[in-house]
Amino acid sequence: MEYVNPEGLRLDGRRFNEMRQIVAEVGVVSRADGSAVFEMGNTKVIAAVYGPREIQNKSQQKNGHALVMCEYSMAHFSTGDRRRQKNDRRSTELSLVIRQTMEACILTEVLPHSQIDIFLQVLQADGGTRSACINAATLALADAGIPMRDLAVSCSAGYLNSTPLLDLNYVEDSAGGADVTVGILPKLDKVTLLQMDAKLPMETFETVFALASEGCKAIAERVREVLQENTKQLEYRRAA
Amino acid sequence: MEGRLANMWRLTVNESKFVETALQSELRVDGRGLYDYRKLTIKFGKEYGSSEVQLGHTHVMGFVTAQLVQPYKDRPNEGSLSIFTEFSPMADPSFEPGRPGESAVELGRIIDRGLRESRAVDTESLCVLAGKKVWSVRIDLHILDNGGNLVDAANIAALAALMTFRRPDCTVGGESNQEVIIHSLEEREPVPLIIHHLPIAFTFGFFNKGNIVVMDPTYIEEEVMCGRMTVTVNANGDICAIQKPGEEGVNQSVILHCLRLASSRAAATTKIIREEVEAYNREKSLQKVKRHPTLAKPEVSGPIVVVKEGHKMSEDEAIAAEISREYVERLNLSSVELKSSKEQEAVAASPGNFKGGPSNWDPYTEAMDVDSLKASLASRGVSVTKSTIKKKANDSGNVQKEVTGDLEMKDTAETTKHKSGEMTLKDAVKPKKKRKNKSS
Amino acid sequence: MSSKVSVSPTSLIDQIVVPGDVVLDLSNMTNQTIKLGSGLRQDSDAISAMRAGKFSYSKPNKYWVESSHKRYIPRTEDHVLGIVVDYKADNFWVDIKGPQIALLPGLAFEGATRRSIPKFEACTLLYLRVVKTNIGMNPELSGTDASGKASVFGPLKDGFMFETSTGLSRMLLSSPTCPVLEALGKKLSFEIATGLNGRVWVNAAAPRSVIIVANAIMNSETLSATQQRIMVEKLLAKISD
Repeated sequence: MEYVNPEGLRLDGRRFNEMRQIVAEVGVVSRADGSAVFEMGNTKVIAAVYGPREIQNKSQQKNGHALVMCEYSMAHFSTGDRRRQKNDRRSTELSLVIRQTMEACILTEVLPHSQIDIFLQVLQADGGTRSACINAATLALADAGIPMRDLAVSCSAGYLNSTPLLDLNYVEDSAGGADVTVGILPKLDKVTLLQMDAKLPMETFETVFALASEGCKAIAERVREVLQENTKQLEYRRAA
Repeated sequence: MEGRLANMWRLTVNESKFVETALQSELRVDGRGLYDYRKLTIKFGKEYGSSEVQLGHTHVMGFVTAQLVQPYKDRPNEGSLSIFTEFSPMADPSFEPGRPGESAVELGRIIDRGLRESRAVDTESLCVLAGKKVWSVRIDLHILDNGGNLVDAANIAALAALMTFRRPDCTVGGESNQEVIIHSLEEREPVPLIIHHLPIAFTFGFFNKGNIVVMDPTYIEEEVMCGRMTVTVNANGDICAIQKPGEEGVNQSVILHCLRLASSRAAATTKIIREEVEAYNREKSLQKVKRHPTLAKPEVSGPIVVVKEGHKMSEDEAIAAEISREYVERLNLSSVELKSSKEQEAVAASPGNFKGGPSNWDPYTEAMDVDSLKASLASRGVSVTKSTIKKKANDSGNVQKEVTGDLEMKDTAETTKHKSGEMTLKDAVKPKKKRKNKSS
Repeated sequence: MSSKVSVSPTSLIDQIVVPGDVVLDLSNMTNQTIKLGSGLRQDSDAISAMRAGKFSYSKPNKYWVESSHKRYIPRTEDHVLGIVVDYKADNFWVDIKGPQIALLPGLAFEGATRRSIPKFEACTLLYLRVVKTNIGMNPELSGTDASGKASVFGPLKDGFMFETSTGLSRMLLSSPTCPVLEALGKKLSFEIATGLNGRVWVNAAAPRSVIIVANAIMNSETLSATQQRIMVEKLLAKISD
């Protein structure tokens, strides 16, 4: 199948290095301490953060660090065919991966003896859910005012028809090509998350990896804007 | 709570500090260099598709099985490959029995991604009947001892098990031409899996805010390190999977450095695995050849056991006797010589014998005769006693031998029932002597 | 645990015994007082082994089973290496690889008063002395010697701790100095603290020396005296390259 036509356009009309439209909003769940919705094209994720609060299960307490918990789930209606309800291995792994990515950007050492819960729900899945989850979680954590060393952002890139492609949608993702998800701390310029599958020669991987990192930086800009906008709004309200 | 605290394995402040300071001068606690791998040993089990991998103190067992199932709807002509992990509580005090924990799931997923998404195993060749029957290959990985770096060890165990796995051959046939006939291992040589390339996992540990990289971390280092990355590469320099699950951020250059290290290492590890597998295959094929001379041995004990069972049977004995009589008569038809080579004949008649079937297969055919003999013994007690006496005269030596001789004699006695009793005895003694010579 | 007996000790001495073996028969040992050490049990007139190991005897009347384990059964006056787990109700909870968590009163240090209880964070390594081992109670530790002086006890700073077996740590403490330490000591200078609970702490100026010493000791578990010396030489040669 042809995923990139001779004019260099993808199935949904994007160029190889073009991202889908990003819509993000913070403070969408009233009861949560922090929350955000993050949309990337047709992928839509909602994140809610509770904490820092008292540790519920004392035995999980870590010395001198806050305990970060993360729960990732996919709504039944998020994909075309209804998913079987089960606590599958993919969700378990994603919860772990997202939790550890967020731990890298939260200053856990300034909040010992406390717990931060991150809940993530995929409302619509159209590829790149784990990136969207990380971006949503970052916004929600910032909204909750949890001390962070940087904004962790994530973006994916793939390789199809010998072209590196930024931000794969579901059709492109399930085409069987490589899929590289990168999570970075943009200001520190460090890579925290890196997941990749399918076979790629070393050199190709480097270009795909670089493309995904560029994508991350673009997303970081967008996330910043959203947060700045939100903070400004709060200022206005206080002033009024 | 107190119990949990007491039984938790913990690293002292001294240890964690020392590990880090030593690493700063490029030293590791077990005396290795930063990029040295621990000693890798691969062993194989008796059965197809079982492996045992030891990487330093880490010990993982892999086991591959296959089953015919209905294919997934979206992939009607592809078999499937699934990976299951078992973190036994015996391997590490922190492993808990019951449902697989986060780390067990992650380990399974890393190996799964490396093997499946890179199409290391040809799943299309696992299809028997498109849309109806495909082979579903299951890899079970059991962690027996956790000395650190479970992922690499488990990955090698999975590869070694896959490479030595043989699935039973099967053909499509039957009336509607839609039935799948599975041929047992004795009937047909089992078929190996088609493996295109070997994706090998290499785990790196990051220390000191991602500035120090270490290969193949031990359990002590795993406790101290601030980040981890597993890179799965093959010997052709392709990257099959990467997993860096969050944690401390590292520079891009460090990641690329790790990738290069891994791909430079892949060829060596591939070679080790291939050599071990070849050695195992060679041994396995040698075993098949060796089977001939050892055949006589199980026979000695085999019939004795069956005789006991034979006693219990009464009604069926007669029928069995008839069958066996026919069988032996056929062999006896031409000449006495033929009779003496009966043993070989019987073996030849059952080709399965040479194909790695259970060793008691052969005694079974023999046993049939023995049972029937028994029946005949019961009816003609006199002749039997006679024969025993004669035999004893011939050689009053080894008791065990005598018993077998006895049985054989009965055997032949049965066959020549219609002829004279004297003949039987002579014949009976002959093959026995022959056999004795053979075994000595 | 003593009884009157006679007759010279049995020929089982220095033999390997397994649990359940009757090592001494008291009925033909009258007029004799014997002392039973670890791994032995009295069942009316028979003394039988509880653990596998070497049945040992020392004059005049001590019997015990020499064995090596990864776990430690606390005995009073043993010196052990403990890891602080928690601090509760004026007691440090210390893990000494025993069947129970051991308690270390905050006041069991030289010069400690209610106001100046030393502060140890979790996972601190301490060199301690077992004071009480009453059945049904958690064993009690102390950070001082019998006369209340700190002497060698207290927290261990830096260095590296590793876990071995009780047998090996007893070997390290035996006199004359065991061959592995002797051979190492000729070439390297290092500090070592051995707990009878199978924990060993090593410190030296250079991390390299610590690693050599630690690995040499861990390797020496199953080696004879000569083998130990050769092993140490090889290890030192390898590192010096």
